Order: sequence, then C-alpha cells, then structure tokens
Amino acid sequence: MTDMAASIDPSPTDWNGEAMRRRIRRRYAAERRFKLLGLAAILVSAGFLAFLLVTMFSNGISGFARSEVRLDVDFPRSSLFLDPAALEGFGADQALAGADFPEALNEAAQAQYGDSGRSLFSEGAWIGLRDAVRDDPSLLGRRATLWLPASTAIDIAAKGEGEAEAERLKARLAEAGRVRTGINWTFLRGSDSTDPSAVGIWGAFKGSLLTMIVTLLIAFPIGVLSAVYLEEYAPRNRWTDMIEVSINNLAAVPSIIFGLLGLAIFLNVMHLPRSAPLVGGLTLALMTMPVIVIAGRNAIKSVPPSIRDAALGIGASRIQVVFHHVLPLALPGILTGTIIGMARALGETAPLLMIGMRAFVAAPPGGFADPASVLPVQIFLWSDEVSRGFVEKTSAAIIVLLVFLLAMNGLAIYLRNKFERRW
Amino acid sequence: MADMIQSPIQAADAAASSPKMTARGVSVFYGEKKAVDDVSIDIHREHVTAFIGPSGCGKSTFLRTLNRMNDTIGSARVEGRIELDSEDIYASSMDVVQLRARVGMVFQKPNPFPKSIFENVAYGPRIHGLAAGKAELDVIVERSLRRAGLWDEVKDRLAESGTALSGGQQQRLCIARAIAVDPEVILMDEPASALDPIATARIEELIHELRGNYAIVIVTHNMQQAARVSQRTAFFHLGVLVEYGETSAIFTNPRETRTKDYITGRYG
Repeated sequence: MTDMAASIDPSPTDWNGEAMRRRIRRRYAAERRFKLLGLAAILVSAGFLAFLLVTMFSNGISGFARSEVRLDVDFPRSSLFLDPAALEGFGADQALAGADFPEALNEAAQAQYGDSGRSLFSEGAWIGLRDAVRDDPSLLGRRATLWLPASTAIDIAAKGEGEAEAERLKARLAEAGRVRTGINWTFLRGSDSTDPSAVGIWGAFKGSLLTMIVTLLIAFPIGVLSAVYLEEYAPRNRWTDMIEVSINNLAAVPSIIFGLLGLAIFLNVMHLPRSAPLVGGLTLALMTMPVIVIAGRNAIKSVPPSIRDAALGIGASRIQVVFHHVLPLALPGILTGTIIGMARALGETAPLLMIGMRAFVAAPPGGFADPASVLPVQIFLWSDEVSRGFVEKTSAAIIVLLVFLLAMNGLAIYLRNKFERRW
Repeated sequence: MADMIQSPIQAADAAASSPKMTARGVSVFYGEKKAVDDVSIDIHREHVTAFIGPSGCGKSTFLRTLNRMNDTIGSARVEGRIELDSEDIYASSMDVVQLRARVGMVFQKPNPFPKSIFENVAYGPRIHGLAAGKAELDVIVERSLRRAGLWDEVKDRLAESGTALSGGQQQRLCIARAIAVDPEVILMDEPASALDPIATARIEELIHELRGNYAIVIVTHNMQQAARVSQRTAFFHLGVLVEYGETSAIFTNPRETRTKDYITGRYG
C-alpha cells in the first residue's frame, strides 16, 4: 500500500509529459485505424457490387443482340402453294397455318447455301418467313431477300465466342455480306422457347408485373391497416403481444414454406388456377405483409405524440387523427418497408416453384388467371438448360430483372421524397 | 354585498352567476398511483384561472381531465364529477370529440401541424363543418389569426409551413388554431415555458385580450406570470388542491402556510 501511495505523483498533471504524448498518439492511431477499416469495408462491398454488375453486363448485353443470315427466296417456285388473295381478310390465318413454311425455308436454304444450308438458320426461322409473307402478301409473286435469325452456333460465332467450325462458316458468310447483327426484338417481345435463339423475356416480365400488382394490392392495404390497428386502436394485452410476436416470426419464415401454404390453400382448397400470377401474387403477399406491418408500426410509432395531441385537442376523432395526420407523416417509412418487402418478393423463386410457376409457358399471360412465368423463375429455368445459347439469355434476363427492380425502387423513392417534403 | 362594490372581479362573478365548469371530488389514478386527490373547483366565465404548484403536483393532469385528454392514456382513470354548463362531461351521452372542440387546448411545446399556416387554422373548422365554403373559411382563418395577434406577421405567407415560424409565433398559431373552432373554454398547459421573455410577454398580452370571450385555464410554473395574467389562482401540492381564490388574495395574503412557503420560494 505504501509503495502504491508513494508511486502516485502528488505534483500537478503533466499535460506535456512523455506518457501523455504517447496516450494522444495512441488515440489518434486508433481513430485512423477505425476510419481505414470502415473505408475498407465500403470498398469491399462496392467491389462486390461492381464485379456483379460488370460480369452480368458483359455476359448479358449480347443477349439483347442477334445475328441474322440473308436468304433469297424465290416464292413463285417454292413449295408454298398460297394465293395472295387468300391472305386478305378473314381466312388469312387459316391459309397461313395450312402452308408448309418450314419446308419452303428448307428448300430456299439448300438452294442458296448447299445441303447443310438449313443449319445456318435457327429452328424457328420459318416463323420469320411466315411473318414476312403475312405482312406483305405480294412477296408471293416474286423473288425476295429476307433476313432470318441465325442458328445458335452462328449467332455465338458472330459474337466472337463460337467454335472453330462455326467461326469459319460465319467468316465466309460475313465476307459475302450475308450475316448481320441487330437488336434482338424477339428477346424483348417473345416468351419462353426450347430454341435459345427464339426465346423472349416479355412473357416472364409481364408475369412478374402482374404478380407484383396482385402482391401490392393485397399486402399494402392489409399491412398498413394491421399496423394502424395495432398501434392506434388495439389494447395492450396478452393477445396483442402474441399477435406481435407472431407477425415478427412470420417475417422470418423461410419463403418455401409460404409456397407450401399457397399450394395447400390457394390451389388445393380454393382451386385457383395453377401457375397463375393471381396465385403467385397471393402467396408473395403472405410473405410481404409482415414486413410492411413491422415497418408500418415503426413508422407510426415515430410520429411525434404532440401531433396526435394537437389534433385530438381541437376535437378530431381517432380516425381523423390517423388519416389526416399520422398516416401522411408515417407514409415515407411505410413506403420504405414496402420497397424492401416488394423487392424481396420480386426476386423470390422458391414459393413460386411450389405453386407451379415453373411450367414451360410459351405465350405471355393475357390476364391474372393465365399461366405465366416470372423473371427469377425464368432465370432459374434458363440457367438449367444445357444449350450454349441460353448462357447469354440467362444473363440478359438477370439484367432485365435488375432493371425492373431499379425501376420499382426508383418509383418508391420518388414517392417517398414527395411525401417527405410535407414535414 | 359590500365586497361587490369594492372588487370588480367579484362583480364579474356575480354577473356570470353560474360557473362555466365545476369539478367535484375529482381524483385521477395512473394505474395504482393517485395523481390527483379529491379536487373540487369552479372555473368562471371571462376569467383567467391559473393553476400553480411544484412539478409533479398533478396540476397538468387535472387540467387534462377538463377536456378528457386523459382518455388517450390507457392506464388513467378519473373519479368524481366534472360539469361543463351543468352537463357531466364523463357521461356516456357526452360526445368527447365535441367536448374537445368546446374545451380547446394549447400545449406546453408549440405543436403546429406540419402543414401550411392556413391549413393549421382551417383544420378545426373544416372537420367540424363550421364553414360553408372557401370564402367563409378564409374569414374564420383571418379572424382567428387576428385574435391570436399573428395576422400581420403571416398574412403574406399563409401557404408556408407552420413549422417554419419561430417558437413564439408557433405558439400563437396554436392558439389561433384552438380559437378557430370557437371554443367556450381554453386550457393552456404551460403555454410560455418553452419561449423567450419577449414571446412570453406576447402570449400573456394575448391571454389578457382573449379573456373577454373565453374562460381560460392556464397551468404555469412562473408565479409572476400567474400573478400578471390571472384573476383566480389555484395552488396544487402533491395532488391536492391546497388553496383556491382570487389571485391578489393568494399572492398577498395566503391562508395556508404551504401556499405561503411556495410563493415565497421556500420550495418548489
């Protein structure tokens, strides 16, 4: 004890001493270290993001382009026995369906490019031939030059990644000016197909859009009303505590379980149509709702009580307080929660597989009850395909999904800022 | 009757024979805790009544029973009888929304809505359907802002946000908002405690001017303020109404020693 007491210097604190300077140096070093660590964390996450975007765009951007090969068709001498007059008016579709376009394509390709000529064109290239005739029946009376989609091998070669043989073939075609590359409108307008050069993303895009509309229309009002009731009206007792815990747990339930629930209730009990955006949207709404409830409650809780007092104090009723004051002020927070929930729902695959949305759907859905695919499921299906042509399509579909997501978030952020200005 | 000639305040009392509000045996509980204990008091027309007392003495709690703002606190329970114009305000036939329009309230912290100045004042008349059209609403808003002494300062920027005003202006905006619904009683819960001395003086002036039209009840920590603005003063201590009477009497010649100790600064 006496030693310790002796070692404590009774003189005034030496603010300029060596020990003090060392302490200051250590403090500055700790601060610098912490700043650098934070910066490193930001750089790592930015790096991951950049890596993701760069790989996606470098792989996927070519999916929006496609190669076409020139084909000269001598219609009068082809095996298409079609009367141009039959293509005017009512019977047109029937007349077109009766004609053998695939055979006509075969003949023309072999006549121009030799025996293996057909292999230069994609399997679905005859559709291009048919559409050309439908759009301009006068073609049937003359020789015409058409650009038809190239086969996958030629297409990949044209984008510089093909096999040696295809590359040589493509080089010969290019020399003769018989191959060109343009925007792949089929990809933007079409639906799923077995032929990678004929696939399109529009079907899945529209499916996602319809599904999200159902999800939003169900989850947003139910979520917001639940949040309002729990915060503003519900008594504080065991039951409301249990409801609160249940909602928090619901937000943490793995999504595939919501898929099973959707399968059991919406398909087996309610007999709603399988693979439809309606059922997909309902299932995702179950998943999104708790997120909106939790965010909504927090947003409502953060509205200052003085605003409630002010409104009550001049004789506003409960519902007037909620709708005139609390909700407008809580809306930015509620919208933030909705963005998070909807973004998660948009990227969700597992529950949709359970309700049959992984079916092969070759036409865009006409309405909420039609069979449809959605973007993440479409990406999953294409990534499973063996054909080389699907690789870039998968990346291209991911780009479409990300653009969808950005557009949705952008809209929500715009709305949020618009309402926030009212503070 | 001899007093009547000497004191103009008592003369006013006699003119408005029945009190505007009466409380009889009012107790307020927060759960098990008794915050206000057996308070009986009369609030008179065209008077300013001040509630004074140390922090936590129950004066704000009692004030909030007068327009049933305590209803919003789940654990609060009120016993006893409070009447507005001889009508029991805790009776089931009393509509609480209408009661709060008739007995308006101004809070300690200025709490304008995050809306325009015009909307702040127009909100009450609008929800109670007091104006038949836009023109009538404009008249009510102007009249209320004039009475609150704010019109000249804000008439050119009625569309600006109420929260952009200074603290004193915000509080006068809140008073304008309260009087826009044409109340009979105005309750003020330490309306000037968050304001600087100049803004406080403006509010006190305003209370003086408003007295002719309303019964005003003001809770205050500031004894000079109570002496300046009020005609009657009630001293609360530990949830009990210790003394209630004319302000001049309370401040110059208190009956209770507790009142005297508080007023002379012994505690509180």
